[in-house]
Amino acid sequence: MRAVLALVLVLVAGCTSAPQPVTLTVLAGAELADLGPVLDELRRDTGVDLRLDHRGTIEAGEEIRRGARHDLAWLSTSRYLRLAGTAVPVATSVMLSPVVVGVKPGRLKENSPSWASIASVAGLGGLRYLMADPKVAGSGLAALIGVATAAAGTGAALRPEDVRCDKVQGFLVGREAVAAAEDLADEYVRQQDQLDAVLTYESTVLSLNASGRIREPLEVVYPRDGIVLADYPVMLLKPEKRAVYDRAVAWMTGERGQRALMKTFRRPVDPAVERTGPLRAELGTSLYFPGSQQVVDALLAAYDRAGKPGRVVYVLDYSTSMAGPRIDGLRDAFARLTGFEGFRVGESVTVVRFAGSVLAADTVEVRGASDVAALQALLGGELEDGTAVWSALDVAYRQAGDGAVVVMTDGENNAGMGVEELLAAWPRPARTYAVRFGSADPQELGRVAGASGGRLIDAEAGSLAAAVREVRGC
Amino acid sequence: MRHTLRENLSSGGIVAEEPGFRVVEPSRSVFRRKRFLLPFGISVVVALAGAIALFASGTVALPAQEVLVVRGMIGSKRDFFQDPEVKRLLMAHRIQVQMTPVGSRELVNRDDLDDYDFVFPSGQSMVEVVYERRKNKSTNPYRPFFTPIVLATYADYARALRDAGVVREQGDGDGLYYDLSVPALIKVMQQGRFWSDLGTGNNNRVITQIPDPCRTYSGATYVGMLAFALNDNHPPTDDEAAVRLAREIKPLLDVEGQHGDDHAPKYLAPDGRTFGTVVVIYEHQFLAHQLAVVERTGQPDRTRALLYPEAQHETAPELLAFTPAGNRLGHLISEEPALRRRALELGFRVLGPSGETSDYGALSEHLRARGLPTPTSGIGDTETWLPNRKLLERMILEVGGCA
Repeated sequence: MRAVLALVLVLVAGCTSAPQPVTLTVLAGAELADLGPVLDELRRDTGVDLRLDHRGTIEAGEEIRRGARHDLAWLSTSRYLRLAGTAVPVATSVMLSPVVVGVKPGRLKENSPSWASIASVAGLGGLRYLMADPKVAGSGLAALIGVATAAAGTGAALRPEDVRCDKVQGFLVGREAVAAAEDLADEYVRQQDQLDAVLTYESTVLSLNASGRIREPLEVVYPRDGIVLADYPVMLLKPEKRAVYDRAVAWMTGERGQRALMKTFRRPVDPAVERTGPLRAELGTSLYFPGSQQVVDALLAAYDRAGKPGRVVYVLDYSTSMAGPRIDGLRDAFARLTGFEGFRVGESVTVVRFAGSVLAADTVEVRGASDVAALQALLGGELEDGTAVWSALDVAYRQAGDGAVVVMTDGENNAGMGVEELLAAWPRPARTYAVRFGSADPQELGRVAGASGGRLIDAEAGSLAAAVREVRGC
Repeated sequence: MRHTLRENLSSGGIVAEEPGFRVVEPSRSVFRRKRFLLPFGISVVVALAGAIALFASGTVALPAQEVLVVRGMIGSKRDFFQDPEVKRLLMAHRIQVQMTPVGSRELVNRDDLDDYDFVFPSGQSMVEVVYERRKNKSTNPYRPFFTPIVLATYADYARALRDAGVVREQGDGDGLYYDLSVPALIKVMQQGRFWSDLGTGNNNRVITQIPDPCRTYSGATYVGMLAFALNDNHPPTDDEAAVRLAREIKPLLDVEGQHGDDHAPKYLAPDGRTFGTVVVIYEHQFLAHQLAVVERTGQPDRTRALLYPEAQHETAPELLAFTPAGNRLGHLISEEPALRRRALELGFRVLGPSGETSDYGALSEHLRARGLPTPTSGIGDTETWLPNRKLLERMILEVGGCA
C-alpha cells in the first residue's frame, strides 16, 4: 500500500501539464484501421493510448459473448449483440456512418436508386460489386438486412415469415468478390478493374475517393428505401477501467474529438458540429431493424445459397377461357417481374403451356438481359380448348428437380390425368404455388399445393401481377 | 469506486497532500490482493491526472480541497449531467458525477443498485421499485425538475399527420408545436398505412419509434398511453384487460422491430430525416435543441415539430440519494440557483425547492425571453393515467417479450 502511495506521489510530483499515459486494449471493428491519426491526437490530449485489436463486428460480438480479454470494444453497432441477447455494457455512441453503395459513374442509370433497382441491374449481371462477408462483418450484414427489408416491401421490420421467400438472390448475383474482413478499401483497390461498385460504409467510400488510389471516383449512393446506420458505440468491457473510459469518451464526443473523427469521413454524433464537404449530403429513409436473431440466421442462410443455380417451372393455362383480359394480365404479370422479383443470372426457367393437353415445355437458362426477352417470347402462343392441368403438372414435376413450380389456371380439369393419379405418381411433389382465378377448383389445387409444402393463392381477390410477384423466390 | 482526493497547488505543479482516500469498492479483500495494487495505483494516478487535466484546461480552478466523485445510475435525465456547464457548476462545488446511463426500467432492477450514491429513474412507478428494494435503507428523494413525454417529428411529417386528422397545430406555436390525438394516431397505425399514403416520400409504415419498453420508462409509458386511449380514456384495472390491450398494441410495436435506447440524438442529427420520423422523446430534449439553434442562428429550427398528446402524462423523475454524497448532489441540483437556472436553459420544467410546482411558468418565461414560442401541453380535459405498476409490468412483458 505504502509503495503505491509513494508511486503516486512521485508520478504526480513529476508531472507537468501533460496527463499521465495509460493504455487500454480495444476490440475494434476492422474498418477502424484508419483511425491512427485520431488515436494519436487522443493520446496527446488525454494520455489515453487505445490499442486497437481489429475484428469483424459480428466476429467481435461472439468474442464478447465468450468473454473478451479487452478493456473496451468499439464496434459499428451493438444491435447484433442485443439480438443475440448479450447485455450491452456501458456504451457511448461517438460517430455515425451509413452503409452505402459506392458505384462507378454511369453504372446505375437512376438518380436516387432504391435497393430494388440496384437488385434489378445486379440480377442480370449489370453490376459487379465487392461486399464484406456478412458472417464476419457488420457492413456486409447491414447491407443484406437493407436489401432484404426493402425486398419484403412491408414497410416494417423483417419478421421470420418475411424471409421465407428468398428475394435477395437476384441482388447477390452481383457479388463479384467478398472480403473476409470489414476493411474493404484495400480489396477494392486491388480488384477495381473487375468491379463496378462496393457496398460498405460511407466513410470507406469517401476515403477511397480521397486516397488517390482508385482510377475512377466512386459516387455515393444512399439507397432511398433502406439506410442502415452504424453508430459506433464505445463499450466498456472491464468496469475497473471506468475512469479512463470516461476520459477517452469525453474527448471523442467533445469538439476536438468530433472534428478529428470527421477527418476520417465519419459523421459527428454532436448535432452542433457542422458537417463538412461530402458529409453534408442528406441520408435516405432508414429502415426498421429486425427484432429477432431468427431473421438474421435466415438471411445468412440465403446468403450461403447465393450463386447456386435456381430452377422454377411455370405451368400456364392456355385454354380458350383465358382469352381477353386474363391472358393479357398473365403476360403483363411476367413483363412486370423486375426488381427483387426479376429473373436472375444462373436461374433456369421452364414454361409449360397447356390446354386440353400439354402444348409446349420450353426452358431458358438466364445468362443476361436477352434471355429474359426470350422468356417473354415464350408466352406468345395461341389458346386452345380443354384444361389438362394435372397432366401439365406431371410434366412440370419431371423438370422441376428441387426447384419450385408455379401453376396458374382458371378452369376445372377436364382432360388427361386426374388429381388422384397425379398425387399417386408424385406423393412428395416439388414445392407448388397454385394461383387460381375464374372457376378453378380451390379444393383440388389446394390439396396439391398443400402436399408439396407450397400454398394456394387466390388471384380473384387481388391482382394476378401481385400474386405472381408474391411467389417469386419462394 | 469513490475516491476522495486531496490536492494542493504548490510551486509548478500539484502534489497529493495527505493522499488519503476512501475506497468503497472493490471490497478490502480484493484491495489487499497484490495483483490489484499496481492497476489500482495506476487508476489513482489516472484520477489525479484527470483532475489535473481539468485544472490545466481551465475548466476548474482548485485550491486545496477535495473532489467528491459521486456515482449514479441515470435514466433519461442523463442529458443534464452530460452538459458541460452543469459539470462546471458541480465542479465549483467540488463534485464530479460519474454517470452510468441505464434505461429506468433496467436501472431499478439491476443487481448492483445499492452500490451507487444515487439513482435517477424517470418516473414514479420506477421510483416505487427502488423504495421497495431498499426498505430498511436510507433513500432520500429530490425532485429538481420534470419534463413531459412527447412525440417529435419533422415539419412535413407533422403537416402530413395534420392532413390525416391526427394532429392540430397549436395557435401560438409558430409551427413548432402541435396537439396530438392519440386515438387518431392509433387508427392510422392500425390501418397499416404507409407514410407514402400520407404524401411523404417514405415507404415505411406509419408508426411511432420508441425507446425499448423493456428498458426505459418512456417506452413503457408510451405503451400505457396507447392502452389508455384504446380503453376509452381509462387505464386497464384488471389482468384480463391489461393483457387484451397489450395484445392489441403489440403489432404496432413489432413494426419497428428492435427498439433503440434514446431516439433524441439521432432525431436531432442534421443528416436528414433518416432516423425516426416520429419518435417518443422528452420535451426538454426538443427545447434544448431549439434553444441551442436560436443561440447559434437567431432563428428556431422550423424543420422539426413537437406533438403534445392531448391527454398529457406528467412524469415525476426523482433523484434518489443513498449516501451522504448523493444527498449533497440532490440538495445542490434542487436548490442551487445556478444549477436550477441551467436546468431551465436545458429545457426542463423546474420545480420549487420542496418539489412544489410554483415555478411551473419559469420555463415559458425563459423560452419567451429567448424568442421561442411557448407550447401548451396537455390541452385535453383528461390526463393519461397509467395502469398500476403491476398491470403495466404485465403489459410490457406481453408486448416486449423482455428477457
